[in-house]
Amino acid sequence: MGKMDKMAAADLIMGLFLIVFGGIAIRSSLNMKVYKTFLDAPGFFPFILGIIFIFLGSVMTFSSFRRKGFEQIKQSIKNFQIIYLFSNIKFKRVMILIALMVIYIFIFIDRLNFIIATALYLFFTLYYLKSANIIKIIFISIITSYLISAFFTSFFRIPLP
Amino acid sequence: MMFDSFLQQVNLFFHAFTAQLYLTNILIIAFATLMGIIIGAIPGLTATMALALLINLSYGMQFDLAISFLLGVYVGAIMGGCYSAIMINIPGTPAAAATALDGFPLAKRGEGGLAIGTGVIASFVGMLISIACLIFITPFIYKIALKFGQWEYFLLAVFGVMICGNLSTGKDPVKGWVVGFLGFFTAMIGLDKVYAYPRFTLGLLQLKGGISLIPALIGVFGISEILIVLEEEIPYKILGKITKIIPSWKTIYSLIPTAIRSGIIGVGIGAVPGAGEDVAAWVAYDVGKRSSKQGEKFGTGCLEGVAAAETANNACIGGAMIPLLTLAIPGSPPAAMFLAAIWLHGVQPGPMLPIEHPGFLYEVAISLLIATFFMLILGLIIAKPIASILKIRREILMPIVLPLTVIGAYAGGVRIFDIKVTFFFGILGYILRKLDYPMAPLVLGIILGPLADISFRQALMQSRGSLIPLLGRPVGIVLLVAIAWIAYSGFRRTIEYTRKHTQKDTRVIQEG
Repeated sequence: MGKMDKMAAADLIMGLFLIVFGGIAIRSSLNMKVYKTFLDAPGFFPFILGIIFIFLGSVMTFSSFRRKGFEQIKQSIKNFQIIYLFSNIKFKRVMILIALMVIYIFIFIDRLNFIIATALYLFFTLYYLKSANIIKIIFISIITSYLISAFFTSFFRIPLP
Repeated sequence: MMFDSFLQQVNLFFHAFTAQLYLTNILIIAFATLMGIIIGAIPGLTATMALALLINLSYGMQFDLAISFLLGVYVGAIMGGCYSAIMINIPGTPAAAATALDGFPLAKRGEGGLAIGTGVIASFVGMLISIACLIFITPFIYKIALKFGQWEYFLLAVFGVMICGNLSTGKDPVKGWVVGFLGFFTAMIGLDKVYAYPRFTLGLLQLKGGISLIPALIGVFGISEILIVLEEEIPYKILGKITKIIPSWKTIYSLIPTAIRSGIIGVGIGAVPGAGEDVAAWVAYDVGKRSSKQGEKFGTGCLEGVAAAETANNACIGGAMIPLLTLAIPGSPPAAMFLAAIWLHGVQPGPMLPIEHPGFLYEVAISLLIATFFMLILGLIIAKPIASILKIRREILMPIVLPLTVIGAYAGGVRIFDIKVTFFFGILGYILRKLDYPMAPLVLGIILGPLADISFRQALMQSRGSLIPLLGRPVGIVLLVAIAWIAYSGFRRTIEYTRKHTQKDTRVIQEG
């Protein structure tokens, strides 16, 4: 299967998502308070956007159906391509990088000093990417996080998280 | 009367000129241009990312210095992309992709230095043309923009998203429009500007303030770029040594018609909302190839090809500033970053700008001019040493970018929540980019969303809920016709794309 085929399947999912999303947007906007008339109500513009999403979603769904998007989804499930995705090196690499970002942003920054949080993030990311040997990685992580912190706080007086 | 107005403009220009010529400002511009060139030269770090990373340095600066700083970064980064395009065949910025077509073959022949020299000089010429256009065209657009009512502003916002979606998607414009309208929707989150009614806040207190523009932009362009670059290893090596850099006068003279033509194309495309420097470079390259006597040599290592692409991408900067200053609509993604930064400093571009800040246009033009001269000088000086910067492994550089994006997101509003917004938009941007959705319409949608919302509601209120009185307004008619044409041509492209791929896909499925 080429790239083009995968896009048809992805477009079908996105098309259906947009139709559902548009429906939710319309429902939410109709539930918003009307002050004078519906034309100047807070929900009026989101209501129009909901209609646009349903329309564009329908166009995408129709187009991807014609491009055999549904057959491709069925084929992917049949051939266990979703499981194959998780053994894909590129996919695994991105997932691990995202996980490291999540730890840095949602755990380290909230709880640790910025320099320590950044040094830890850099150490684990550089180590995972095999960017250099371990001594260099430790050196780069500590020096870089310290320099970034000093540069922004001392030279530019910018608050750090 | 007209002569008085002209004299007033001349007076404002010289006032801005003298106001900008002081040591701190000049040093800031030199530093910013150098930083822009270096960041732009590094593959994976785009001009938008350069602005996203360095915007945080401008938070603590005085307004004038912040403007000069950001413009210096912008000018430097767009030109900087040509180094890696020529030396390693990986464009430092998407704007330099067309440059690689002729630049890299030249480097393989040992003429990489000459290609860089031509690229830098062409960028310089492109900037001069665009600054001239910015100075002379902008006042006329201000006058037209003053006649815009709420209805016209609404149509302009829709036109911006539609044309941006159309131009930034190669095959299927519907994808561009989808992200553009998703941008509109993102702008709806938070308290409604008229009644302060909370919309789509999911009960979260932090979302009542809305999605801050800068964290969203940093996420879309910064974090998604980190993931795109790091998802696979692409080893590269620098070919040949940089020897002669400055081309002969004869060569420069022969490239003047190409530079002028490409400069005008660059300005024109820059002025179209969201089209961007990469589109300008490709169009100028294509036009250059068709109109040149040596058209068949394009793509084989032709200095004219390098000049066409490089003049146009830098000329786009001045062009992008025209709709930004007159209508608050950025002409390109880096210009969107610039717009977000000046909003942060409390300046509202639009038709009232010449009244509220009379010399602002000329201050921008003078800052661009100073940055242009530094770009020429520094660009030629650092052509040789830049090779050692390009040797830094991206696996070391890109992880370091994340803490910088975190600081950029946090420093504007001093809210941890903004860092989380950046992360969310980074992941969203990565997924959308992998699925062939362009990012420029999303950003434009976030910027223009509030304008579209308020203008549409107010226009309908003024016409007492009827569209009929609104349809008779001349500027509105022009915009409506333009929107209808974009929609028609876009849907035609989508239908052709579907038809073409229906046949191909049927064959693929039948074969196995």
